[in-house]
Amino acid sequence: MSKTVLVVDDSPSIREAVGYTLQTEGYQVIKAESGKDALENIDGKQVDLVITDLHMPAMNGIELTKEIRKLNDFSRVPILLLTTESQVSKKLEAKLAGATGWIIKPFVAEKLISVVKRVLR
Amino acid sequence: MDIMEDFKQKFIEEADELISNLEASLLILEKKPHEKEHIEKVFRIMHTLKGNGGMFGFNKISEFTHNLESIYDFVRSGEMEINKELLDITLLSVDHLKMLLKNGDNLGSDLQKTHSNFTSKIENIINRKLMGGNDYSIEKQIGYGDNSAGLFSGNAANRKTFYIKFQPNEYIFNNGTNPLFLIDEINTLGTSAAVAHLENIPAAETFDCTKCYTWWEIFVATHEKISTLDDVFIFVEDDSKIKISEIAPSDLFLNHDFKKYIENLQKSGNQFNIEFLKKLPGIGDKIKPVAEETPEQPEMTAQLPVVGKVKAEAVISSIRVSSGKVDLLMNLVSEMVTLQARLNLYTESHHDPELLSIAESVQKLSRQLRDNAFSISLIPIGSILTRFQRLVRDLSGDLGKKINFIIKGEETELDKTIIENLSDPLMHILRNSLDHGIETPEVRLKNGKTEEGNIYLKAFYSGSNVHIEVKDDGAGFDPEKILQKARLKGLVSEQAILDKSQIFDLVFTPGFSTADAVSDISGRGVGMDVVNRKISEIRGEVVLDSEKGKGTTVTIILPLTLSIIDGMQVNIGRAAYIIPLYAVHKIYSVSHLVIQNAFDNIIALEGEQLPFFSLREQFGVDGDPPEREEIVVVKYENRKVGLVIDKVLGEYQTVLKPLGKHYKSQEFISGGTILGDGTVALVLDTNKIISKFSNNTQIMEESR
Amino acid sequence: MSDSQSKVINSYLTFKLGEVMFASHVENVIKILEMQHITVVPRTPPFMKGVINLRGNVLPVIDARIKFGIPPTEYTKKTCILVLSIQIDDEHVEVGAIVDAVKDVLEYDFDKILPSPGLGSKYKSGFIEGVMKVNDNFIMILNMNTVFSTEEIIDLQEQTEKTVEKLKKEKSKKKVI
Repeated sequence: MSKTVLVVDDSPSIREAVGYTLQTEGYQVIKAESGKDALENIDGKQVDLVITDLHMPAMNGIELTKEIRKLNDFSRVPILLLTTESQVSKKLEAKLAGATGWIIKPFVAEKLISVVKRVLR
Repeated sequence: MDIMEDFKQKFIEEADELISNLEASLLILEKKPHEKEHIEKVFRIMHTLKGNGGMFGFNKISEFTHNLESIYDFVRSGEMEINKELLDITLLSVDHLKMLLKNGDNLGSDLQKTHSNFTSKIENIINRKLMGGNDYSIEKQIGYGDNSAGLFSGNAANRKTFYIKFQPNEYIFNNGTNPLFLIDEINTLGTSAAVAHLENIPAAETFDCTKCYTWWEIFVATHEKISTLDDVFIFVEDDSKIKISEIAPSDLFLNHDFKKYIENLQKSGNQFNIEFLKKLPGIGDKIKPVAEETPEQPEMTAQLPVVGKVKAEAVISSIRVSSGKVDLLMNLVSEMVTLQARLNLYTESHHDPELLSIAESVQKLSRQLRDNAFSISLIPIGSILTRFQRLVRDLSGDLGKKINFIIKGEETELDKTIIENLSDPLMHILRNSLDHGIETPEVRLKNGKTEEGNIYLKAFYSGSNVHIEVKDDGAGFDPEKILQKARLKGLVSEQAILDKSQIFDLVFTPGFSTADAVSDISGRGVGMDVVNRKISEIRGEVVLDSEKGKGTTVTIILPLTLSIIDGMQVNIGRAAYIIPLYAVHKIYSVSHLVIQNAFDNIIALEGEQLPFFSLREQFGVDGDPPEREEIVVVKYENRKVGLVIDKVLGEYQTVLKPLGKHYKSQEFISGGTILGDGTVALVLDTNKIISKFSNNTQIMEESR
Repeated sequence: MSDSQSKVINSYLTFKLGEVMFASHVENVIKILEMQHITVVPRTPPFMKGVINLRGNVLPVIDARIKFGIPPTEYTKKTCILVLSIQIDDEHVEVGAIVDAVKDVLEYDFDKILPSPGLGSKYKSGFIEGVMKVNDNFIMILNMNTVFSTEEIIDLQEQTEKTVEKLKKEKSKKKVI
């Protein structure tokens, strides 16, 4: 049974590219364009992993992480943040919010897949 | 449509929109420079362009927006103020970004110049800010102290040097962490050096590639506070032992002796010893004591090397490295050699003396690195020979034979991959010698031989090859019987006249040997076709020679390495090929007419009759040959043969990549290599080309 | 999650060869590349187009049209190279396949895949894994492992037509009943 990944990014190109990469690896992908969209979308669904962009308008990745952790069904789902090296200082905040790890942009498909595979193992 | 192209297109549309929004916000800021919302917007757009540009191959956009993002980060945190100069340059960058989006990373030389100018202007702004002498907000600068510049390296003043001991838990890979990324991250904070400790890596049999056996000591000089370093390890702190301490209030990397010391640690794999550092001139007074070793790791304290003489003795002369790491190293070196070729290509087309000298130094360095990495991947053949001692001992006992097994040249080194694939064929050959070569003691005595049979296994270098000889003084082969048997099996026609070596070659033909026993050669050929196939898979050859009643010698001829060779690049039509340099004897330039009119493909060059053939013809290349062609004279066994090609382009370091299973029947091509422009050139196996394509008997006979 | 709760959904990449649509399970597709310069390997059959550089390694490239006996055409902007991971003799091998155009990635319920109908002894079975029906069109799911490991040219054009014919006939029969 393939696992389901929620991909959250306000940039459609990244969202689609990450989604496609994961689909080619056989994962089910749910896409959301904002934190709000994500929270509405996952209600009642089985999600095995959340990948979210850190820097988004309205609700950023860390705020989203906090919100997701509040949901009963999602308290243990791994959450990966996509970010750039200039945001390294946010790491602590992300960890405290309950994030599992992060991936620094730009990254290649292989790296994304290997991180996802390890987290989901 | 190509899906990746599709995403790229999406990004372009997205970026277009972002750039338009950027322009709008900048125009508003021009009137109201304190409009927070728009400052945020500008920052966010720069951030998005930077992060996402790199994802879709717009590296220039990423580079360009990097500093702008930093500037607007300062602006939004109130550390810098928007003024006319900044707005002007940002507005200009809107147009520049549009241009970068349109042209991608391949800028022509003019655009590249504009790009560089622009980038350095923006760099100036950020540098002025970082150097403290900025004219934007002096009082803020004082208020925040030096830490405001914390994100950036390059400014040596006020750096501190930290020591980090990072011992990941074996299972760190399981939660998706690659420790090397963390070390990379530390590197972005300032100047750093890491010493990897590999002593916990177990022997190959128990090596588990999902586990992390390595631990690191990292030295970093940075403006950052210790908490920033702590943060790097934040996601792994539960899975690792991490100790971070300040060892000096200055940048120790500026000290030559310190750097030397670290380099020594990296080479020897020894642990850092603060005492040793204190004794170094010019450093000692700056050293702060490292925090006490935590009690849960007493074994580490015990291992700390002792200062002085004793330490010198404790230097480890060799380390055990997993073969996976060596493979990785070889791959990286391969890539670097390929990149080197690209650099050379670029340098040639840009007549820049500065660039030329850099490229030359890099070339020298990469050649050394290549040779060094190459020598690391070589291992002595002795490593597999010991198990044969055992085999011979056990088998001779079972067979009731007395055998004296002598090994020579254990120190001969070969590529790891070759050695791995050599074990089975060698085992096979030895078994044959034991089973069918060496006679029983009674028979030997009857034939006037010593009771004890001898098997010699000898490895030695011969040019760029390694020979492995298995020689016995057993019964030997009878060529007549081989021929008879081959005829019986229909492998050769009744009329064929074969010389001795051709007859022995029959032993390697699939289907030659069967279970039915024919006197002394019974079963002797068992699996010899398999041996031959295995050896040719590693680009080697097997030759058999024997004398009836005296013994047999099987020789395996192998290339030194599978991966890297020096080659010569030649062109045929539009295609580039590589000829291994060791095979090349001489190059002549000859008019096409002379070649065309040559009788029986023989040409007289410098008084010698040289047989040749045209690769253009053999490869079926379309189009007309150039007026002047070139003949590459290559060595073929002990003869010389000319290969006609269009033009020789020059020497080329070649990283050989296999063509894969789909091309397994193209055995005259050893593999492919990636050229500087990213295309693939085929590497020719001159021996196989000549034996395969040359129907010209002259080559075989008259060219001696 | 137990099997009864969930249906197996599979993702397929669809692509065109000539006028016919085919599909490959996405697990076989590693990457999609633009058409690019291909280094010709001398003395090879015409469908073996040559080799390209894929991340520093050499990737053999096969022209799927020629391989399937469809007359070759000029490459267009839409032509691309599917980088496939296939299995040959228990080994994973990467190979590039030139196709006319990549269309879509679609998810298709595994249970709904029609079995490849028996095609009579004249045709080699095993190239077609099954058939999907999307908007009244039939899409052949190719077994990439068999298609790209063999060395002969496959007359897929004919095979495809027969398959579609047969399916149509079966469908119309049902209607009559």
